[in-house]
Amino acid sequence: MSTSAQIMKLFVAQLKTMFREKAVWFWNLFFPVILMVLFMVIFGGGGDGGDFKAKVALVNPAPSASSDSLEAGLRKIPVFEWKSEQPVDSAQADAWVKDKDVDAAIVLPENGNSGDIKLIVNTENESNATTQAIQGILDQYVQRASFAAAGIEPAYRLQTSSITSSSKDLSSVDFLMTGMIALSVAQAGLFGMVDMVEIRRSGLLKRLRMTPLRMGLYGLAGMMVRFVLSFVQIVLLSVIGVIGFGANLALNIPVLIIAFFVGVLAFNALGYLISSFSKSIESYMGVANITSFLMMFISGVFFATSSLPDWLKPVTQVLPLTYFVEGMRDGMVYGSGLFSSSFWIGIGILALWGVAAFSIGALIYRKGKVEVR
Amino acid sequence: MPVLEVKNLRKSFGDVKAVQDISFTVEAGEVFTIIGPNGAGKTTTLEIIEGLQPPDAGSIAVAGLSWSKDESAIKTLIGVQPQSSALFDLLTTEENLDLFASFYPTRKSTAEVLEMINLTEHRSKRVKSLSGGQRQRLAIGLAMINDPQVIFLDEPTTGLDPQARRNIWDIILRLKQLGTTIILTTHYMEEAEKLSDRVCIVDQGTVISLDTPAALIGKLTKEREVRLSFYDGEDAAAQTEEALRGLPGIARMEREGANVTLWSPEPEQALYGLLGFTKEHGYRVEHVSIREMSLEDVFIAFTGKEWRD
Repeated sequence: MSTSAQIMKLFVAQLKTMFREKAVWFWNLFFPVILMVLFMVIFGGGGDGGDFKAKVALVNPAPSASSDSLEAGLRKIPVFEWKSEQPVDSAQADAWVKDKDVDAAIVLPENGNSGDIKLIVNTENESNATTQAIQGILDQYVQRASFAAAGIEPAYRLQTSSITSSSKDLSSVDFLMTGMIALSVAQAGLFGMVDMVEIRRSGLLKRLRMTPLRMGLYGLAGMMVRFVLSFVQIVLLSVIGVIGFGANLALNIPVLIIAFFVGVLAFNALGYLISSFSKSIESYMGVANITSFLMMFISGVFFATSSLPDWLKPVTQVLPLTYFVEGMRDGMVYGSGLFSSSFWIGIGILALWGVAAFSIGALIYRKGKVEVR
Repeated sequence: MPVLEVKNLRKSFGDVKAVQDISFTVEAGEVFTIIGPNGAGKTTTLEIIEGLQPPDAGSIAVAGLSWSKDESAIKTLIGVQPQSSALFDLLTTEENLDLFASFYPTRKSTAEVLEMINLTEHRSKRVKSLSGGQRQRLAIGLAMINDPQVIFLDEPTTGLDPQARRNIWDIILRLKQLGTTIILTTHYMEEAEKLSDRVCIVDQGTVISLDTPAALIGKLTKEREVRLSFYDGEDAAAQTEEALRGLPGIARMEREGANVTLWSPEPEQALYGLLGFTKEHGYRVEHVSIREMSLEDVFIAFTGKEWRD
């Protein structure tokens, strides 16, 4: 039988074995889907980007032409949601603020053309993000209104836009989806190599070594099966992310393929390393779980690594999952990276992890063989 | 040329000398059985022969080939059923056979093997749902899928019920008919006696005795045990005992009530004398028996151990 036919035969056999195992379906497909959906529902805001809204009330103690025009201008600001169509008296506004029925009350000047515009907030909320945002918006509005009243055209204006080559902005849904994809592919590799412990324990490895089969081919076919599984994971999670939660994809296929290929190999190599020193399935699972948990929360899967405390950042910068998540985002939502050095540095570090893990694993296997009885 | 030649094999694990100078030769078409108490070195010997472990000293030749030079050639010539049968549990019987067949340049047809191991009906069943006996038959099927010259069966019937054991005996006898050389280890003396051309008794890493089952038993049997009991009670038994005492061919004698037991190197002679006497006196003998000596007695005599320790 030719080598390629032999690999095909082994591939089909291992593919059947993998997909006939219910636990594989649960842990590699069903569980990541559930986890992703859950995270998206909690943090993703159902896909409409988590727009900022503030509920406010307006007090106009001395209605006049100028205060009316101020009011009309304020009511056009889209992030403000008005508690009532008409201005209310200050007692009513105070009551609403106290009861937190509104985030803030805006009080217009008491005498005509000039004076202070007051912002009243609950003391408890004095320094929270909503208050600061309202303050900022109002401050800007007041400044513009003053310039207009004085007839001055401002020399500078601030225009903000985020930079990505993707046509749309990166939303939290995109972020979570790519994070979950990377995580589940990484976990499939990390946990999947438990097969190595299983075939050693059951004696199947020994049995196969009694045949003329080259074990390298068996391993190669096994890797092919793992690639298939991880490909299914990517497609499944992407489809659910895009259709169910309106995630946006900006694919860069070469980048995606490189990141995927190197990532799958690296995490399988890590699994292989764990299998080399695990004597039982339980001990393998224990080590794999710890490894996966340590990486999961500090590698930018669920939230950006920039939000982590400074002392933790160096740890993040050595973990392979950080670079795998980055690489997958480059290929799936940033749509960039093939010529960026940060992408290649990340892939390089990931590859380094893979090569190191595989080499150490192989060494332990070779040493251990002497003691096998 | 012998199919298998084992010369001066030695192997230690730390302080434990598992195999100390084991040598034997197996001819083509033989069923060669290795028996010995647990820890005697059977499995280690077998694993060295199967190429799974290197010996510390000594040599193995399978069909004239050596492991160091012709590893892959030997692997195509042998078939192995290891003690714990490891199979692809989530594949079906047929898928297991096909997959293993793909590892070899020559093969038997899956249908033929399925028929020989009597699993044709269960060809599409996943291994996981097979019974212990069926699994074991499949493991033997996998060992014969490459149409090997030598097949190694390591305790193929351990833990099986009597019916399942008989099924496996049938397979072994079929293989023998087809001219396959079989190296067998077993815990059951009855099995070794029934199936083997030659039996090799191993204890503490050395060969204690090696011969055909009949010759091994013959070596041991200097005296046979004869038992008889009388309808006419103790008196008849006592008188017979008295009369027989001192007759040639009877080594010693014991009586307990109406039962007499005697040991004789020539039980036939002893029985003539015995039955002549009872006929003369009109004593009715209820029961006469000569105990068969079995391989088990041989084993106990050679190793000084109970079989199942």
